[in-house]
Amino acid sequence: MLWNNFIYFAIVAVVMWAGGAYMAWRDKRNSAFTATAIGLAVFFAYICFMWGALERPPLRTMGETRLWYSLFLPMAGLAVYARWKYKWILTFTTIMATVFVCVNIFKPEIHSKALMPALQSPWFAPHVIVYMMAYAILGAATLVAIYQLLRKTTVGDGEATLVRTGWAFMTFGMLFGALWAKEAWGHYWSWDPKETWAAITWLAYLAYMHYTHMPRHNRTLAQWMLIAAFCLLQMCWWGINYLPAAKGISVHSYGS
Amino acid sequence: MRHGFAIGAAVIAAGLVLQWAVGAVRWQDFAWPVNIAVLAVFVIAALIGTALSRRYSPLRFLATLPAAVPAICYGVALTMIMGLTRQTADGTWLSDMLTFWPFVLTYSYIAFILALTTLRRLRRLRHPRLSDIAFVLNHAGLLIALLAGTLGNPDMRRLKIITNLNAPERRAMDEEQRIVQMSIAIKLDRFIMETYPDGSPRRFASEVSIIDRDGKNVQATVEVNRPVRIGSWKLYQYGYDTKAGAESRISILELVQDPWLPAVYAGIFMMLGGALLMFFLSNKPKDQRHAVE
Repeated sequence: MLWNNFIYFAIVAVVMWAGGAYMAWRDKRNSAFTATAIGLAVFFAYICFMWGALERPPLRTMGETRLWYSLFLPMAGLAVYARWKYKWILTFTTIMATVFVCVNIFKPEIHSKALMPALQSPWFAPHVIVYMMAYAILGAATLVAIYQLLRKTTVGDGEATLVRTGWAFMTFGMLFGALWAKEAWGHYWSWDPKETWAAITWLAYLAYMHYTHMPRHNRTLAQWMLIAAFCLLQMCWWGINYLPAAKGISVHSYGS
Repeated sequence: MRHGFAIGAAVIAAGLVLQWAVGAVRWQDFAWPVNIAVLAVFVIAALIGTALSRRYSPLRFLATLPAAVPAICYGVALTMIMGLTRQTADGTWLSDMLTFWPFVLTYSYIAFILALTTLRRLRRLRHPRLSDIAFVLNHAGLLIALLAGTLGNPDMRRLKIITNLNAPERRAMDEEQRIVQMSIAIKLDRFIMETYPDGSPRRFASEVSIIDRDGKNVQATVEVNRPVRIGSWKLYQYGYDTKAGAESRISILELVQDPWLPAVYAGIFMMLGGALLMFFLSNKPKDQRHAVE
Protein backbone atom coordinates (compact mmCIF):
# COMPACT_ATOMS: atom_id res chain seq x y z
CA MET A 1 0.00 0.00 0.00
CA LEU A 2 2.85 2.29 0.83
CA TRP A 3 5.13 1.57 -2.09
CA ASN A 4 2.10 1.78 -4.42
CA ASN A 5 2.06 5.54 -4.01
CA PHE A 6 5.78 5.78 -4.63
CA ILE A 7 5.41 5.84 -8.42
CA TYR A 8 3.38 9.09 -8.42
CA PHE A 9 5.86 10.98 -6.28
CA ALA A 10 8.75 9.45 -8.24
CA ILE A 11 7.38 10.46 -11.65
CA VAL A 12 6.86 14.07 -10.56
CA ALA A 13 10.32 14.20 -8.98
CA VAL A 14 12.08 12.66 -12.00
CA VAL A 15 10.25 15.01 -14.41
CA MET A 16 11.30 18.02 -12.32
CA TRP A 17 14.92 16.81 -12.11
CA ALA A 18 14.99 16.20 -15.87
CA GLY A 19 13.52 19.67 -16.43
CA GLY A 20 16.22 21.14 -14.20
CA ALA A 21 18.92 19.27 -16.12
CA TYR A 22 17.53 20.61 -19.42
CA MET A 23 17.45 24.17 -18.07
CA ALA A 24 21.11 23.79 -17.04
CA TRP A 25 22.04 23.00 -20.66
CA ARG A 26 20.07 26.08 -21.75
CA ASP A 27 22.03 28.15 -19.18
CA LYS A 28 18.89 29.09 -17.31
CA ARG A 29 20.43 28.70 -13.89
CA ASN A 30 17.52 29.95 -11.81
CA SER A 31 15.03 27.64 -13.53
CA ALA A 32 17.47 24.73 -13.15
CA PHE A 33 17.73 25.39 -9.42
CA THR A 34 13.99 25.81 -8.94
CA ALA A 35 12.97 22.71 -10.88
CA THR A 36 15.55 20.47 -9.20
CA ALA A 37 14.62 21.83 -5.78
CA ILE A 38 10.91 21.16 -6.37
CA GLY A 39 11.76 17.61 -7.44
CA LEU A 40 13.79 17.14 -4.27
CA ALA A 41 10.96 18.51 -2.12
CA VAL A 42 8.43 16.13 -3.68
CA PHE A 43 10.75 13.17 -3.26
CA PHE A 44 11.55 14.11 0.33
CA ALA A 45 7.83 14.48 1.04
CA TYR A 46 7.39 10.83 0.05
CA ILE A 47 10.22 9.77 2.40
CA CYS A 48 8.59 11.69 5.26
CA PHE A 49 5.23 10.11 4.41
CA MET A 50 6.83 6.69 4.50
CA TRP A 51 8.64 7.48 7.75
CA GLY A 52 5.29 8.32 9.36
CA ALA A 53 3.49 5.27 7.98
CA LEU A 54 6.27 2.84 8.98
CA GLU A 55 6.56 4.40 12.45
CA ARG A 56 10.34 4.16 12.09
CA PRO A 57 12.94 5.83 9.87
CA PRO A 58 12.93 4.20 6.41
CA LEU A 59 16.58 3.18 6.53
CA ARG A 60 16.56 -0.51 7.14
CA THR A 61 16.12 -2.33 3.86
CA MET A 62 18.16 -2.05 0.69
CA GLY A 63 15.15 -0.44 -1.04
CA GLU A 64 14.88 2.15 1.69
CA THR A 65 18.57 3.09 1.50
CA ARG A 66 18.19 3.44 -2.29
CA LEU A 67 15.42 5.93 -1.58
CA TRP A 68 17.84 8.18 0.27
CA TYR A 69 20.47 7.71 -2.40
CA SER A 70 18.02 8.85 -5.09
CA LEU A 71 17.34 11.93 -2.96
CA PHE A 72 20.96 12.82 -2.22
CA LEU A 73 22.26 12.37 -5.79
CA PRO A 74 20.40 15.33 -7.36
CA MET A 75 21.13 17.24 -4.15
CA ALA A 76 24.88 16.64 -4.61
CA GLY A 77 24.47 17.46 -8.32
CA LEU A 78 22.83 20.76 -7.42
CA ALA A 79 25.66 21.64 -5.03
CA VAL A 80 28.25 20.84 -7.73
CA TYR A 81 26.30 22.88 -10.29
CA ALA A 82 26.10 25.84 -7.90
CA ARG A 83 29.81 25.71 -7.09
CA TRP A 84 31.50 24.74 -10.39
CA LYS A 85 28.74 25.50 -12.92
CA TYR A 86 29.22 22.15 -14.73
CA LYS A 87 26.24 22.14 -17.12
CA TRP A 88 26.18 18.37 -17.51
CA ILE A 89 26.28 17.31 -13.86
CA LEU A 90 22.50 17.58 -13.30
CA THR A 91 21.89 15.36 -16.33
CA PHE A 92 24.12 12.66 -14.92
CA THR A 93 22.80 12.82 -11.37
CA THR A 94 19.25 12.77 -12.75
CA ILE A 95 19.98 9.66 -14.82
CA MET A 96 21.60 7.90 -11.86
CA ALA A 97 18.81 8.87 -9.49
CA THR A 98 16.26 7.65 -12.06
CA VAL A 99 18.00 4.29 -12.30
CA PHE A 100 17.67 3.87 -8.54
CA VAL A 101 14.06 5.06 -8.63
CA CYS A 102 13.31 2.45 -11.33
CA VAL A 103 14.96 -0.29 -9.29
CA ASN A 104 12.72 0.69 -6.41
CA ILE A 105 9.62 0.65 -8.62
CA PHE A 106 10.33 -2.74 -10.21
CA LYS A 107 12.10 -4.46 -7.29
CA PRO A 108 11.13 -2.55 -4.17
CA GLU A 109 12.07 -5.30 -1.69
CA ILE A 110 9.09 -4.47 0.50
CA HIS A 111 9.45 -5.38 4.11
CA SER A 112 7.35 -5.39 7.21
CA LYS A 113 7.32 -2.73 9.87
CA ALA A 114 9.60 -4.83 12.08
CA LEU A 115 12.74 -3.13 13.29
CA MET A 116 14.93 -5.50 15.26
CA PRO A 117 16.02 -4.30 18.72
CA ALA A 118 19.67 -3.71 17.76
CA LEU A 119 18.56 -1.13 15.17
CA GLN A 120 16.43 0.80 17.67
CA SER A 121 19.09 3.34 18.49
CA PRO A 122 19.46 7.10 18.15
CA TRP A 123 22.61 6.33 16.11
CA PHE A 124 20.68 4.45 13.43
CA ALA A 125 19.37 7.43 11.40
CA PRO A 126 22.56 9.57 11.46
CA HIS A 127 24.76 6.54 10.67
CA VAL A 128 22.84 5.58 7.53
CA ILE A 129 21.86 9.06 6.32
CA VAL A 130 25.42 10.37 6.59
CA TYR A 131 26.70 7.29 4.72
CA MET A 132 24.13 7.71 1.93
CA MET A 133 25.15 11.37 1.65
CA ALA A 134 28.79 10.29 1.35
CA TYR A 135 27.91 7.71 -1.31
CA ALA A 136 25.98 10.31 -3.32
CA ILE A 137 28.77 12.91 -3.18
CA LEU A 138 31.40 10.30 -4.08
CA GLY A 139 29.11 9.12 -6.89
CA ALA A 140 29.03 12.69 -8.22
CA ALA A 141 32.85 12.86 -7.95
CA THR A 142 33.10 9.62 -9.94
CA LEU A 143 30.81 11.07 -12.64
CA VAL A 144 33.06 14.13 -12.92
CA ALA A 145 36.10 11.84 -13.26
CA ILE A 146 34.48 9.63 -15.93
CA TYR A 147 33.29 12.67 -17.89
CA GLN A 148 36.79 14.13 -17.95
CA LEU A 149 38.35 10.77 -18.90
CA LEU A 150 35.94 10.38 -21.82
CA ARG A 151 36.34 13.96 -23.02
CA LYS A 152 40.11 13.82 -22.38
CA THR A 153 39.89 17.23 -20.73
CA THR A 154 40.36 18.50 -17.21
CA VAL A 155 38.21 21.22 -15.72
CA GLY A 156 39.18 22.68 -12.37
CA ASP A 157 39.57 20.40 -9.38
CA GLY A 158 35.89 19.75 -8.70
CA GLU A 159 36.24 16.02 -8.12
CA ALA A 160 39.04 16.41 -5.55
CA THR A 161 36.96 18.84 -3.50
CA LEU A 162 33.93 16.56 -3.78
CA VAL A 163 36.02 13.64 -2.52
CA ARG A 164 37.17 15.64 0.49
CA THR A 165 33.56 16.48 1.35
CA GLY A 166 32.33 12.94 0.69
CA TRP A 167 35.17 11.44 2.69
CA ALA A 168 34.38 13.73 5.64
CA PHE A 169 30.79 12.40 5.55
CA MET A 170 32.13 8.85 5.26
CA THR A 171 34.33 9.36 8.33
CA PHE A 172 31.27 10.53 10.25
CA GLY A 173 29.27 7.50 9.10
CA MET A 174 32.01 5.08 10.06
CA LEU A 175 32.71 6.59 13.48
CA PHE A 176 29.00 6.97 14.32
CA GLY A 177 28.78 3.27 13.47
CA ALA A 178 31.68 2.52 15.85
CA LEU A 179 30.10 4.49 18.72
CA TRP A 180 26.77 2.75 18.09
CA ALA A 181 28.36 -0.71 17.89
CA LYS A 182 29.92 -0.18 21.32
CA GLU A 183 26.45 0.44 22.80
CA ALA A 184 24.71 -2.34 20.89
CA TRP A 185 27.27 -5.14 20.68
CA GLY A 186 29.86 -4.29 23.31
CA HIS A 187 32.67 -3.46 20.90
CA TYR A 188 33.31 -0.56 18.56
CA TRP A 189 34.99 -2.55 15.82
CA SER A 190 34.65 -6.30 15.21
CA TRP A 191 35.96 -6.72 11.63
CA ASP A 192 32.49 -7.74 10.50
CA PRO A 193 32.68 -8.03 6.65
CA LYS A 194 30.79 -4.74 6.28
CA GLU A 195 33.27 -3.05 8.60
CA THR A 196 36.22 -4.55 6.74
CA TRP A 197 34.90 -3.23 3.43
CA ALA A 198 34.08 0.14 5.00
CA ALA A 199 37.72 0.35 6.09
CA ILE A 200 38.89 -0.63 2.58
CA THR A 201 36.71 2.06 0.97
CA TRP A 202 37.78 4.68 3.49
CA LEU A 203 41.46 3.86 2.91
CA ALA A 204 41.06 3.82 -0.89
CA TYR A 205 39.71 7.40 -0.88
CA LEU A 206 42.44 8.31 1.60
CA ALA A 207 45.02 7.03 -0.91
CA TYR A 208 43.37 9.13 -3.64
CA MET A 209 43.39 12.28 -1.49
CA HIS A 210 47.04 11.86 -0.57
CA TYR A 211 48.02 11.06 -4.15
CA THR A 212 46.25 14.10 -5.61
CA HIS A 213 47.91 16.26 -2.98
CA MET A 214 51.28 15.51 -4.54
CA PRO A 215 52.21 18.46 -6.74
CA ARG A 216 53.18 16.43 -9.80
CA HIS A 217 50.57 13.69 -9.82
CA ASN A 218 49.17 12.04 -12.93
CA ARG A 219 45.63 13.35 -13.38
CA THR A 220 44.49 10.38 -15.49
CA LEU A 221 45.76 7.87 -12.93
CA ALA A 222 43.99 9.85 -10.19
CA GLN A 223 40.70 9.64 -12.10
CA TRP A 224 41.10 5.90 -12.50
CA MET A 225 41.80 5.65 -8.76
CA LEU A 226 38.51 7.41 -8.13
CA ILE A 227 36.64 4.93 -10.33
CA ALA A 228 38.36 1.99 -8.60
CA ALA A 229 37.49 3.42 -5.18
CA PHE A 230 33.85 3.78 -6.22
CA CYS A 231 33.82 0.10 -7.25
CA LEU A 232 35.11 -0.80 -3.77
CA LEU A 233 32.33 1.35 -2.32
CA GLN A 234 29.75 -0.70 -4.25
CA MET A 235 31.26 -3.83 -2.74
CA CYS A 236 30.83 -2.31 0.72
CA TRP A 237 27.27 -1.11 0.05
CA TRP A 238 25.68 -4.17 -1.56
CA GLY A 239 28.39 -6.38 -3.08
CA ILE A 240 29.14 -8.17 0.19
CA ASN A 241 25.59 -9.58 0.19
CA TYR A 242 26.79 -11.78 -2.69
CA LEU A 243 30.29 -12.43 -1.40
CA PRO A 244 30.84 -16.05 -0.30
CA ALA A 245 33.42 -14.98 2.32
CA ALA A 246 30.83 -12.73 4.00
CA LYS A 247 27.74 -14.95 3.72
CA GLY A 248 25.86 -15.42 6.94
CA ILE A 249 28.32 -13.74 9.28
CA SER A 250 27.57 -10.05 8.83
CA VAL A 251 25.31 -8.15 11.21
CA HIS A 252 24.76 -5.71 8.36
CA SER A 253 22.86 -7.96 5.95
CA TYR A 254 19.90 -5.91 4.80
CA GLY A 255 16.35 -7.08 4.93
CA SER A 256 15.35 -10.37 6.45
CA MET B 1 57.05 7.03 -4.98
CA ARG B 2 59.19 4.13 -6.14
CA HIS B 3 61.04 4.18 -2.82
CA GLY B 4 57.77 4.19 -0.93
CA PHE B 5 56.57 1.09 -2.75
CA ALA B 6 59.94 -0.60 -2.16
CA ILE B 7 59.85 0.07 1.59
CA GLY B 8 56.25 -1.17 1.80
CA ALA B 9 57.21 -4.35 -0.08
CA ALA B 10 60.16 -4.84 2.29
CA VAL B 11 57.81 -4.51 5.27
CA ILE B 12 55.55 -7.21 3.80
CA ALA B 13 58.55 -9.44 3.03
CA ALA B 14 59.77 -9.05 6.62
CA GLY B 15 56.29 -10.01 7.77
CA LEU B 16 56.31 -13.14 5.62
CA VAL B 17 59.68 -14.18 7.06
CA LEU B 18 58.42 -13.58 10.60
CA GLN B 19 55.23 -15.51 9.92
CA TRP B 20 57.25 -18.42 8.58
CA ALA B 21 59.81 -18.28 11.41
CA VAL B 22 57.76 -17.65 14.55
CA GLY B 23 54.18 -18.28 13.41
CA ALA B 24 51.17 -16.01 13.73
CA VAL B 25 51.06 -12.93 15.97
CA ARG B 26 50.05 -14.01 19.48
CA TRP B 27 48.05 -11.00 20.61
CA GLN B 28 47.45 -12.43 24.09
CA ASP B 29 51.20 -12.00 24.71
CA PHE B 30 50.66 -8.24 24.33
CA ALA B 31 48.44 -8.00 27.42
CA TRP B 32 49.33 -5.47 30.13
CA PRO B 33 52.11 -4.46 30.79
CA VAL B 34 53.69 -5.58 27.49
CA ASN B 35 51.34 -3.34 25.47
CA ILE B 36 52.27 -0.20 27.41
CA ALA B 37 55.97 -1.07 26.96
CA VAL B 38 55.46 -1.53 23.21
CA LEU B 39 53.64 1.81 23.10
CA ALA B 40 56.50 3.52 24.99
CA VAL B 41 59.05 2.09 22.56
CA PHE B 42 56.91 3.25 19.62
CA VAL B 43 56.59 6.79 20.97
CA ILE B 44 60.31 7.03 21.78
CA ALA B 45 61.21 5.69 18.32
CA ALA B 46 58.91 8.28 16.71
CA LEU B 47 60.42 11.09 18.79
CA ILE B 48 63.98 10.01 17.98
CA GLY B 49 62.99 9.56 14.33
CA THR B 50 61.65 13.11 14.22
CA ALA B 51 64.70 14.52 15.99
CA LEU B 52 67.07 12.79 13.57
CA SER B 53 65.03 13.46 10.44
CA ARG B 54 66.92 16.68 9.73
CA ARG B 55 70.16 14.76 9.48
CA TYR B 56 68.96 11.52 7.85
CA SER B 57 66.99 11.87 4.66
CA PRO B 58 65.39 8.36 4.78
CA LEU B 59 63.69 9.33 8.05
CA ARG B 60 62.60 12.62 6.50
CA PHE B 61 61.18 10.66 3.59
CA LEU B 62 58.87 8.66 5.88
CA ALA B 63 56.94 11.82 6.77
CA THR B 64 56.16 12.65 3.14
CA LEU B 65 53.42 11.82 0.64
CA PRO B 66 55.60 9.50 -1.53
CA ALA B 67 55.93 7.29 1.57
CA ALA B 68 52.32 7.64 2.72
CA VAL B 69 50.57 6.87 -0.58
CA PRO B 70 52.23 3.46 -1.18
CA ALA B 71 51.77 2.54 2.49
CA ILE B 72 48.02 3.23 2.25
CA CYS B 73 47.85 1.28 -1.03
CA TYR B 74 49.45 -1.76 0.65
CA GLY B 75 46.97 -1.34 3.50
CA VAL B 76 44.08 -1.35 1.01
CA ALA B 77 45.45 -4.44 -0.78
CA LEU B 78 45.94 -6.49 2.39
CA THR B 79 42.58 -5.46 3.84
CA MET B 80 40.97 -6.42 0.52
CA ILE B 81 42.45 -9.91 0.84
CA MET B 82 40.92 -9.98 4.31
CA GLY B 83 37.55 -8.90 2.89
CA LEU B 84 37.62 -11.51 0.13
CA THR B 85 38.62 -14.53 2.24
CA ARG B 86 36.62 -16.05 5.03
CA GLN B 87 38.22 -15.14 8.34
CA THR B 88 38.27 -17.59 11.22
CA ALA B 89 39.81 -17.25 14.67
CA ASP B 90 41.63 -20.58 14.29
CA GLY B 91 42.71 -19.82 10.73
CA THR B 92 46.27 -19.42 9.53
CA TRP B 93 48.01 -16.94 7.24
CA LEU B 94 45.41 -15.29 4.99
CA SER B 95 42.39 -16.77 6.77
CA ASP B 96 43.26 -14.93 9.98
CA MET B 97 44.63 -11.61 8.79
CA LEU B 98 44.57 -10.03 12.24
CA THR B 99 47.38 -12.37 13.33
CA PHE B 100 49.16 -12.33 9.93
CA TRP B 101 52.53 -10.59 10.34
CA PRO B 102 52.57 -8.79 6.94
CA PHE B 103 49.14 -7.29 7.78
CA VAL B 104 50.17 -6.29 11.30
CA LEU B 105 53.52 -4.88 10.19
CA THR B 106 51.98 -2.91 7.31
CA TYR B 107 49.56 -1.22 9.71
CA SER B 108 52.40 -0.65 12.18
CA TYR B 109 54.35 0.99 9.37
CA ILE B 110 51.33 3.18 8.55
CA ALA B 111 51.13 4.09 12.25
CA PHE B 112 54.82 5.02 12.27
CA ILE B 113 54.37 7.24 9.21
CA LEU B 114 51.37 8.85 10.93
CA ALA B 115 53.44 9.51 14.06
CA LEU B 116 56.36 11.06 12.16
CA THR B 117 53.98 13.16 10.04
CA THR B 118 52.07 14.44 13.06
CA LEU B 119 55.23 15.23 15.01
CA ARG B 120 56.77 17.03 12.06
CA ARG B 121 53.66 19.16 11.64
CA LEU B 122 53.53 19.88 15.38
CA ARG B 123 57.19 20.94 15.38
CA ARG B 124 56.63 23.34 12.51
CA LEU B 125 53.58 24.89 14.17
CA ARG B 126 54.17 28.50 15.14
CA HIS B 127 50.91 30.21 14.27
CA PRO B 128 48.46 27.35 13.79
CA ARG B 129 45.82 27.88 11.15
CA LEU B 130 42.53 26.03 11.06
CA SER B 131 43.94 23.71 8.41
CA ASP B 132 46.86 22.80 10.72
CA ILE B 133 44.42 21.92 13.48
CA ALA B 134 42.42 19.77 11.05
CA PHE B 135 45.63 18.08 9.92
CA VAL B 136 46.72 17.22 13.46
CA LEU B 137 43.23 16.09 14.53
CA ASN B 138 42.92 13.80 11.49
CA HIS B 139 46.37 12.27 11.71
CA ALA B 140 46.86 12.10 15.48
CA GLY B 141 43.24 10.99 15.99
CA LEU B 142 43.65 8.05 13.62
CA LEU B 143 47.02 7.20 15.18
CA ILE B 144 45.64 7.22 18.74
CA ALA B 145 42.54 5.21 17.83
CA LEU B 146 44.65 2.69 15.88
CA LEU B 147 47.28 2.23 18.61
CA ALA B 148 44.91 2.18 21.57
CA GLY B 149 42.43 -0.08 19.78
CA THR B 150 45.06 -2.60 18.72
CA LEU B 151 47.34 -2.61 21.75
CA GLY B 152 44.40 -2.39 24.14
CA ASN B 153 42.55 -5.32 22.62
CA PRO B 154 44.40 -8.01 24.64
CA ASP B 155 43.32 -6.23 27.84
CA MET B 156 39.68 -6.30 26.85
CA ARG B 157 37.58 -8.82 28.77
CA ARG B 158 34.22 -10.19 27.69
CA LEU B 159 32.29 -12.53 29.95
CA LYS B 160 28.96 -14.20 29.31
CA ILE B 161 26.59 -14.93 32.18
CA ILE B 162 23.48 -17.04 32.00
CA THR B 163 21.21 -15.46 34.63
CA ASN B 164 18.30 -17.43 36.06
CA LEU B 165 14.98 -16.23 37.37
CA ASN B 166 15.31 -15.49 41.09
CA ALA B 167 18.63 -17.38 41.49
CA PRO B 168 21.80 -15.27 41.87
CA GLU B 169 24.56 -16.33 39.46
CA ARG B 170 28.22 -15.81 40.32
CA ARG B 171 29.84 -17.77 37.50
CA ALA B 172 30.59 -16.39 34.07
CA MET B 173 32.28 -17.79 30.99
CA ASP B 174 35.19 -16.08 29.26
CA GLU B 175 35.93 -16.07 25.54
CA GLU B 176 37.88 -19.34 25.83
CA GLN B 177 34.82 -20.99 27.41
CA ARG B 178 36.48 -21.11 30.83
CA ILE B 179 34.42 -20.60 33.99
CA VAL B 180 35.25 -17.41 35.88
CA GLN B 181 34.11 -16.62 39.44
CA MET B 182 32.89 -13.04 39.67
CA SER B 183 33.02 -10.80 42.74
CA ILE B 184 29.39 -9.87 42.10
CA ALA B 185 26.31 -11.97 41.60
CA ILE B 186 23.53 -11.24 39.12
CA LYS B 187 19.94 -12.35 39.56
CA LEU B 188 17.25 -12.15 36.90
CA ASP B 189 14.10 -10.59 38.38
CA ARG B 190 12.03 -10.42 35.23
CA PHE B 191 12.55 -11.04 31.53
CA ILE B 192 10.63 -8.67 29.28
CA MET B 193 9.81 -9.58 25.71
CA GLU B 194 7.64 -7.71 23.24
CA THR B 195 7.01 -8.96 19.71
CA TYR B 196 5.72 -7.58 16.43
CA PRO B 197 2.50 -9.06 15.00
CA ASP B 198 4.65 -11.41 12.88
CA GLY B 199 6.34 -12.77 16.00
CA SER B 200 9.75 -11.20 15.49
CA PRO B 201 11.20 -9.55 18.61
CA ARG B 202 10.44 -5.85 19.06
CA ARG B 203 12.15 -5.45 22.39
CA PHE B 204 13.78 -7.68 24.94
CA ALA B 205 15.17 -6.61 28.26
CA SER B 206 16.18 -8.01 31.63
CA GLU B 207 15.36 -6.57 35.01
CA VAL B 208 18.24 -7.72 37.17
CA SER B 209 19.56 -7.37 40.70
CA ILE B 210 23.29 -6.94 41.00
CA ILE B 211 24.57 -8.09 44.38
CA ASP B 212 28.08 -6.99 45.30
CA ARG B 213 30.53 -8.57 47.72
CA ASP B 214 29.09 -6.76 50.76
CA GLY B 215 25.61 -7.97 49.87
CA LYS B 216 24.52 -4.56 48.61
CA ASN B 217 21.79 -4.86 46.05
CA VAL B 218 21.40 -2.66 42.94
CA GLN B 219 18.51 -3.06 40.54
CA ALA B 220 18.81 -2.25 36.84
CA THR B 221 17.19 -2.91 33.48
CA VAL B 222 19.53 -4.18 30.79
CA GLU B 223 18.33 -3.79 27.23
CA VAL B 224 19.70 -4.03 23.71
CA ASN B 225 21.38 -0.69 22.92
CA ARG B 226 21.11 0.29 26.60
CA PRO B 227 23.96 -1.32 28.55
CA VAL B 228 24.30 -0.77 32.29
CA ARG B 229 27.53 0.38 33.92
CA ILE B 230 28.85 -1.58 36.94
CA GLY B 231 32.14 -0.11 38.13
CA SER B 232 34.63 -0.52 35.31
CA TRP B 233 32.39 -3.03 33.54
CA LYS B 234 29.43 -2.63 31.23
CA LEU B 235 26.59 -5.12 31.27
CA TYR B 236 24.89 -5.89 27.93
CA GLN B 237 21.76 -7.80 26.99
CA TYR B 238 23.08 -10.65 24.86
CA GLY B 239 20.45 -13.33 24.41
CA TYR B 240 17.68 -15.46 25.91
CA ASP B 241 16.05 -18.84 25.48
CA THR B 242 14.77 -18.30 21.94
CA LYS B 243 12.69 -21.49 22.05
CA ALA B 244 10.75 -20.23 25.06
CA GLY B 245 10.54 -16.64 23.74
CA ALA B 246 8.61 -14.42 26.13
CA GLU B 247 8.43 -17.32 28.60
CA SER B 248 12.22 -17.52 28.80
CA ARG B 249 13.39 -18.23 32.34
CA ILE B 250 16.97 -17.29 31.56
CA SER B 251 18.65 -14.25 30.11
CA ILE B 252 22.17 -14.25 28.70
CA LEU B 253 24.08 -11.11 29.60
CA GLU B 254 27.55 -10.02 28.62
CA LEU B 255 30.03 -8.16 30.83
CA VAL B 256 32.59 -6.11 28.93
CA GLN B 257 35.64 -4.34 30.31
CA ASP B 258 37.92 -2.31 28.05
CA PRO B 259 40.45 -0.21 29.98
CA TRP B 260 41.82 1.40 26.81
CA LEU B 261 38.42 2.62 25.63
CA PRO B 262 38.87 6.26 26.78
CA ALA B 263 42.00 6.53 24.62
CA VAL B 264 40.21 5.00 21.62
CA TYR B 265 37.31 7.43 22.12
CA ALA B 266 39.74 10.35 22.37
CA GLY B 267 41.09 9.29 18.97
CA ILE B 268 37.61 8.86 17.51
CA PHE B 269 36.46 12.29 18.70
CA MET B 270 39.63 13.91 17.35
CA MET B 271 38.88 12.32 13.97
CA LEU B 272 35.27 13.55 14.14
CA GLY B 273 36.55 17.06 14.86
CA GLY B 274 39.05 16.77 12.01
CA ALA B 275 36.36 15.58 9.59
CA LEU B 276 34.10 18.46 10.63
CA LEU B 277 36.87 21.00 9.98
CA MET B 278 37.68 19.29 6.66
CA PHE B 279 34.08 19.59 5.62
CA PHE B 280 34.19 23.37 6.09
CA LEU B 281 37.70 23.81 4.74
CA SER B 282 37.03 21.77 1.60
CA ASN B 283 34.75 24.54 0.38
CA LYS B 284 37.47 27.16 0.76
CA PRO B 285 39.78 28.25 -2.08
CA LYS B 286 42.82 26.07 -2.55
CA ASP B 287 45.47 28.31 -0.96
CA GLN B 288 43.73 28.10 2.42
CA ARG B 289 43.48 24.36 2.37
CA HIS B 290 46.23 22.09 3.65
CA ALA B 291 44.10 19.91 5.86
CA VAL B 292 44.85 16.67 4.09
CA GLU B 293 48.40 17.31 2.99
